[in-house]
Amino acid sequence: MDMRAPAAADAATPRDGRRLPVGGWELALTALLVAVVAGFGAAAPGFYAGPASLLGLTENFLPFGLVALGLSLVILTGGIDLSVGAVASLSAVLAAQLWSRFGVDIWAASALGVAIGALLGLLNAAVILRLGIEPLIATLGTSFLYGSAAVAAAGAAPPSGFPASFTAVGTGTLGSLGPLAGLVPIQLALFAALAVLFSALVARSPFGRVLVMVGYSPDAARYSGIRTGRVLATAYAVSGAMASLAGLVLASYYDAVRPDMGDVLLLTAITMVVLGGISIFGGEGTVAGVVVSVLVLGFLRQGMLIAGFSDMVTTMLTGAILLASIAAKNLFNRRGTGLANQIWATIRRPEPPRANPN
Amino acid sequence: MSAAAARPAADPRPGWRDRRELVLVAVTAASAGAVGIVNPGFLTVENLRFVALNSVVLSIVALGQTLVIAMRGIDLSVAPLMGLSAMVCGLLAQTHGLPLWGAVGVALAIGLALGTLNGVLVAALNIPPIITTLGTYSLFGGLTFLYSDGTQVDQVPPAYAAFGNAGPLGLPVPTPVLVLLLVTAACWFALGHSRFGRAVLAVGNNAAAAYNAGLRVAVIRIQVYALSGLLACLGGLVFVCYTGSATVTTGTGDHVELQSIAVALVGGTLIAGGRANVLGTVLASLFLSTVLTALVFLQVPPIWYSAGEGLMILVAVRGGTRRAAGRA
Amino acid sequence: MSAQRDADSAMPGFYAAQGIRKSYGAIQVLKGISLDLKPGRMVTIMGENGAGKSTLFKILAGQVPPTGGTLRLAGAPVALASPSAAHARGIYLVPQEPALLPELSVAETMFVGALPTRGGPLGRRVDWAAMRARARAALDALELPIDVDRPARTLSIAQQQQVECAKALLRGCRIILFDEPTSPLTSHEVEHLFSIMRRLKADGCTLSFISHRMDEVLEISDEIAVLRDGVLVDVVARPSFDRARLLSRMVGRPLKAVPRRAASNARDEVALEVRGLSDGLRFADVGFSLRRGEVLGLAGLVGAGRTEIAETVFGVRPAAAGEVRLGGAVVTGLDCHAMIRRGLVYVPEDRARHGAVLPMTITENVTSGLLDRVRRRAGLLSARDEARISAAAVRDFRVRCAGLDQPLRELSGGNQQKVVFAKWMTTGPRVAILDEPTRGVDVGAKEDIYEMIDAMARDGMALLVISSESEELVRLCDRILSIYEGRVVAELSGADISPAAVARSYLTAAAPSGGVAA
Repeated sequence: MDMRAPAAADAATPRDGRRLPVGGWELALTALLVAVVAGFGAAAPGFYAGPASLLGLTENFLPFGLVALGLSLVILTGGIDLSVGAVASLSAVLAAQLWSRFGVDIWAASALGVAIGALLGLLNAAVILRLGIEPLIATLGTSFLYGSAAVAAAGAAPPSGFPASFTAVGTGTLGSLGPLAGLVPIQLALFAALAVLFSALVARSPFGRVLVMVGYSPDAARYSGIRTGRVLATAYAVSGAMASLAGLVLASYYDAVRPDMGDVLLLTAITMVVLGGISIFGGEGTVAGVVVSVLVLGFLRQGMLIAGFSDMVTTMLTGAILLASIAAKNLFNRRGTGLANQIWATIRRPEPPRANPN
Repeated sequence: MSAAAARPAADPRPGWRDRRELVLVAVTAASAGAVGIVNPGFLTVENLRFVALNSVVLSIVALGQTLVIAMRGIDLSVAPLMGLSAMVCGLLAQTHGLPLWGAVGVALAIGLALGTLNGVLVAALNIPPIITTLGTYSLFGGLTFLYSDGTQVDQVPPAYAAFGNAGPLGLPVPTPVLVLLLVTAACWFALGHSRFGRAVLAVGNNAAAAYNAGLRVAVIRIQVYALSGLLACLGGLVFVCYTGSATVTTGTGDHVELQSIAVALVGGTLIAGGRANVLGTVLASLFLSTVLTALVFLQVPPIWYSAGEGLMILVAVRGGTRRAAGRA
Repeated sequence: MSAQRDADSAMPGFYAAQGIRKSYGAIQVLKGISLDLKPGRMVTIMGENGAGKSTLFKILAGQVPPTGGTLRLAGAPVALASPSAAHARGIYLVPQEPALLPELSVAETMFVGALPTRGGPLGRRVDWAAMRARARAALDALELPIDVDRPARTLSIAQQQQVECAKALLRGCRIILFDEPTSPLTSHEVEHLFSIMRRLKADGCTLSFISHRMDEVLEISDEIAVLRDGVLVDVVARPSFDRARLLSRMVGRPLKAVPRRAASNARDEVALEVRGLSDGLRFADVGFSLRRGEVLGLAGLVGAGRTEIAETVFGVRPAAAGEVRLGGAVVTGLDCHAMIRRGLVYVPEDRARHGAVLPMTITENVTSGLLDRVRRRAGLLSARDEARISAAAVRDFRVRCAGLDQPLRELSGGNQQKVVFAKWMTTGPRVAILDEPTRGVDVGAKEDIYEMIDAMARDGMALLVISSESEELVRLCDRILSIYEGRVVAELSGADISPAAVARSYLTAAAPSGGVAA
């Protein structure tokens, strides 16, 4: 309690008021990343065949990371966006059709595709804010709508065979920039740039600050003069734009579009965000954590595939890691005796009354 | 603080026993009738039987989902569980000649065990339901894959096929429909007339108040997730009998988790928990099956089918929004 | 006497607290409370906000375990592990805003956890008919015309409390505690509740309730216990009730010894003008003008509509009629974002919910009011500039903390409130509305905050202060408006201002005839 200590203010040395982008969780994830890469490098022949191939592995999972970055903003507000997969498919299909049917330049079509993604995100926000439907259900509904539209837009023979400059995004490297740059896939450069951008956005931009405030406490944000509706709309729009970007990268990677190609993105991207330490209830977490978790899950998956495990087994492990990490976090936050005792105590006394000094 | 306390007494009239069932019956009948006028083939006994049979699996799975949502939870893992059950039962029958009653036991045991796992993760480890079942979604899907080891079910013994398509003792009603009726009646009784079911609704309305009233909230949560798992696996068994096939994408490929949530909500169960409509879930599933079949008859391109589902969810939920608080 | 008490205390329905203590971390909320509740008697707990009344009730009802002390029921010590354990022993707490089960019927909410069942062909099933009949009988016994089939969400707050009373009786609970039941009720509803209470009392139930409203308390109580800062300072039995003594006990000091602010800083220029403001629900036709350097107080009972008036002026609640002018310009209907930019800020009453984001750091909270103040580098907030603003705020507002990065939730209530002040004052507002500025703040920090408010007025800021503590208004304000049921009922200024006058101005508004035993 405040006992009017003399020189109370001087005790507070004005330290740098920076919200550190890394904390214990991010460090633990980084250690896990090192262990995963080193472990597979040692144990799985073929996982490490020189730096170029190691970095090249990222091409197989970075579209998930792009979706996860956008989704991070939405989950930081305490919401969720289940439509990211459908948005990715729909905007990639539309962009491809613009290129193939209407002769729009592929880059212009891609830009339009990202804009379409942002618009679809705004539509999600409109459904949530105007109709007052919970984000989970609203985006579940729109995901069906967008998915159908993607199938319709794709037609019987979806476009493929894009210009080489476009397919380079998914599979090429920055080779033209110099010998060392040749090691870096374009996808990785894109992801790294966006990761830095999003990290700065959340940690240091005015928008990020209000985003986190809305996530922790929408009421307090409103009483602070923040127009929370605009913040939410922006978050969903960014999520849509990032999903469509991921869809375009997939189109480039496969050199084709399919109306269901975004479907695989959703569950893995949510896993990446949550494992990255962003709380599903909003407010808590950093983009840095998400970035590391993208790499952990991505390399883990690639490593296991190379080691001969099947796709499904790696997916299974992803799920197990997600559950174990959240459970560990919850148990860590709760002080007490052994694991079994804690679980038993929860079952016996399930809704502990909240301590409230007021 | 009492500041926001002066809530005027709300209108006591409608909403209480809302007529969702009647609306669904009317809409289903009207759409079937309308399609019948355009294409009389739709109204043949054969086709109507198909429509009904086609809705059974989703209905059974969605009844479990209804219980979970009524309790203010959500279960995404029903889809892979259904697939796992279909695969395990189907392969045991196909390769080891497991008798049908054995398959029933296997399906129920898998469902209970894995559903309980969901419940323990949610209730005892405090993991939010959406995260929990997202994680087990991957886990259970992986189990299916491991068990199948690259094979798939394409042929089930005649007893299974008969169970999935024909009626028992020469009855004209297919067995799956009878199973569904039984399950529906059980859920209806449980939610409407048993202490357990009312406790589930009490938890969905206000978990803290339910706890204060002496209900064992965590135990109830575990039981409900176990039941949801059980019904998902029963759905999987019916599926493998009915179609005679199961692959690693059974359940997950059709997004049964999303469909089951959709029909539960369209049926009148509140996403915020606390109110459930068992009959509504079954009727919504029947409605979905009717519409999807009708679209085939009307030669509507199948691409718009899921758009219809999406609209259905948004329209249905728009009517039933109550509290938009974060789901825990 | 003592032998008599021992004999009484063994009576069924005699519920005694002995030396009950409760601490949350370092904060001691209850410091050894001993209180007897007796069958057929209504014991009222009075006290200022934060005195520990609700905490005491929660302990009595098994919702919160005490840190120390004993509860005795009919002479025997009891330990209550949960609310349901309390119910089993016949103790029931009616919360101020009952947490019902909105989608279930009234009858079912009354029986939740103990639904009657009967045998059937399919096993035991809920006996709806019996449940409805018993629920109806319980409501009828209290002459409550409530349809038991209605969904609980359609009940008004008053009806919810009535249902809770019937529910207590249904469960065989005869020790019934009411946590501040009357503040959300209209006077007519209060009368109805009192008639129920009298009936319960006549029936031999043990009753206790919390209230702030003097006239009510004098009307219904058999004994009045005054709680102040976690200590039971007085217990008076009818007929020795004395309004002035109770008031002075509640505020803790003799009323005349209250310090009064020095000189008014009010200037001529009007900073905020409100005319005929109504929200169509909680208040109507409120008007006042506030000059630069002036401190205007809003006095009244909790629930009188003062917070609603403030929120409507600030723009977070819609106005139904009336006009708000800020520095001469009409600003009615603007949202709070626009108000803040025009120099009007609001320090809300509920700090944890509206005032601050407790998990965020001191710096983040200080700059959250107006991020435009922080310098940018390439569009990003300059960490150095933020730290500078935050350090200055911490220094100027004497915030005790371990560092600027400390999450706000780790600070004491007083320091949290200073951060909220700092957040708004560093935006350089011209008008500030302070709603219960010292709620949940300890004595030392309170005086700091008073000095800050004085300094703001000296600087020419116009201040509107809402407080439920008469002393605080007297200490701070040049002028005081008294609000009763959403209307301005009195205005005090200059030498007329005294704690007694302030308290009288709204307490007597309730019952013009003068009350029962004053």
